[in-house]
Amino acid sequence: MRKRSIPLAIAISFGLLTLLGLTFSLPELSNLLLGWAGFLVAVALILGILNLFVVHLGRLRHGNLYSGVLVLSMLAVFALAFTDSNGITTNGVETVFSWVQAPMEAALASLLAFFLVAAGFQLLRRDRSWSAALFLGTAVFILLSQALLALPLPGQQSTQILSQFRTLINNVIVTAGMRGILIGVALGTITLSLRLLVGMERPYSDE
Amino acid sequence: MNALLILFTILATGLLWGLMYRRQQRLGEDVALRPLPAYTRLQSQIGRAVESGRPVHISLGQGGLTTDTNPVSVSGLHIMDYLAENGCANNAPPITTVGEPTLLPVADDRLRRAYKLAKQSLAFGSGRTQFVAHDTDKFAFAGGVAATLHQENAISNVLVGHLGPELAIISETAVRNGLEQIIGTDDPTGLAVATAVTDHTLIGEELLAAAAYLQGKPAQLASLQTQDILRLIFSTIILGWAILQFIL
Repeated sequence: MRKRSIPLAIAISFGLLTLLGLTFSLPELSNLLLGWAGFLVAVALILGILNLFVVHLGRLRHGNLYSGVLVLSMLAVFALAFTDSNGITTNGVETVFSWVQAPMEAALASLLAFFLVAAGFQLLRRDRSWSAALFLGTAVFILLSQALLALPLPGQQSTQILSQFRTLINNVIVTAGMRGILIGVALGTITLSLRLLVGMERPYSDE
Repeated sequence: MNALLILFTILATGLLWGLMYRRQQRLGEDVALRPLPAYTRLQSQIGRAVESGRPVHISLGQGGLTTDTNPVSVSGLHIMDYLAENGCANNAPPITTVGEPTLLPVADDRLRRAYKLAKQSLAFGSGRTQFVAHDTDKFAFAGGVAATLHQENAISNVLVGHLGPELAIISETAVRNGLEQIIGTDDPTGLAVATAVTDHTLIGEELLAAAAYLQGKPAQLASLQTQDILRLIFSTIILGWAILQFIL
């Protein structure tokens, strides 16, 4: 019984305190709770890093070379952080970030456009309905119009029509759809938060 | 004024939910929920995992439990619960990946609980729940999850939680490996990508209805009904306001 009621009492009381702090603008209370939450997130991050290390060490034992690269990289960055803090090296970790991680993430980000185009064609192959055609047609139109608007089109009127049509899609149709989704999410969030606040929803318990 | 408005909204919603909950308890009626293809397909994933001997992969995304994405992550945990409970009972536990540190202990705990419910030994722990990357590194997360999908030879890919357009990288790997996909997120840009790659999407509020669809407890069904009433009220207000603005 106690095993269930203690986490429940903590969750409800901290939920209500956070709500009070945010509703009545009590910065001292909000900052105190945020500080505690921040500390817990930091502990969770250490656990996460240990989990990542252990999982890939296990995969390395099964002969996965990519996991070996990850484990070695982790150890190398730890070693660099240690030598940086002891003054043996300078900016070692930052150098690794700017020469390895940043270019790799940028490369993945640039690949995203190709993945999206591929996804569009897969959609048309999978689902040859009018909605799929509309989806792909709109995406192609927005991409092309972006490029065409930068070019000098013959006649001022055609540029104006293209620009107006593009604005109509972006500002009316897309915005309306996005707001609809966000209102739905907000309503769902309110009801789920209420269930969490009164303890009907307990992701932290065994029930 | 703002504080009063927030309090009024919370109290009114709470009252409405309380009324719906009491009604639900008193009548004990079966609520006919609108069928959602994503939840229907989710129910067949364990069977496919058992038949093929390959695990189901579920990713809870990059929404933390201490941020405003908490409800979406809690809904993702409900879906994970469903897959873990049914999977462990059939000796086919899912592989779970998370992209936010606070999700790791909770997801790990839910999987332990599923093992306990299935009365299986806790020979678990061998990387069934994996932390991939921090929420500040979206592309590292996407790349890591894609690698996990490939290496673990998953049978299907369930992405539920806070995920942006970077999910295109994960789903591309899933498509190349011929995996069935179920994707739910609260991010409109992520949803646009999800719509392109699978027919089984959970659009925003549909993801938040996970508990009602998968567990169907009176409190969860009542909150779904409350949501519907609130949606009707808000739609009427927005429509009325728009007509008023048009006339005046």
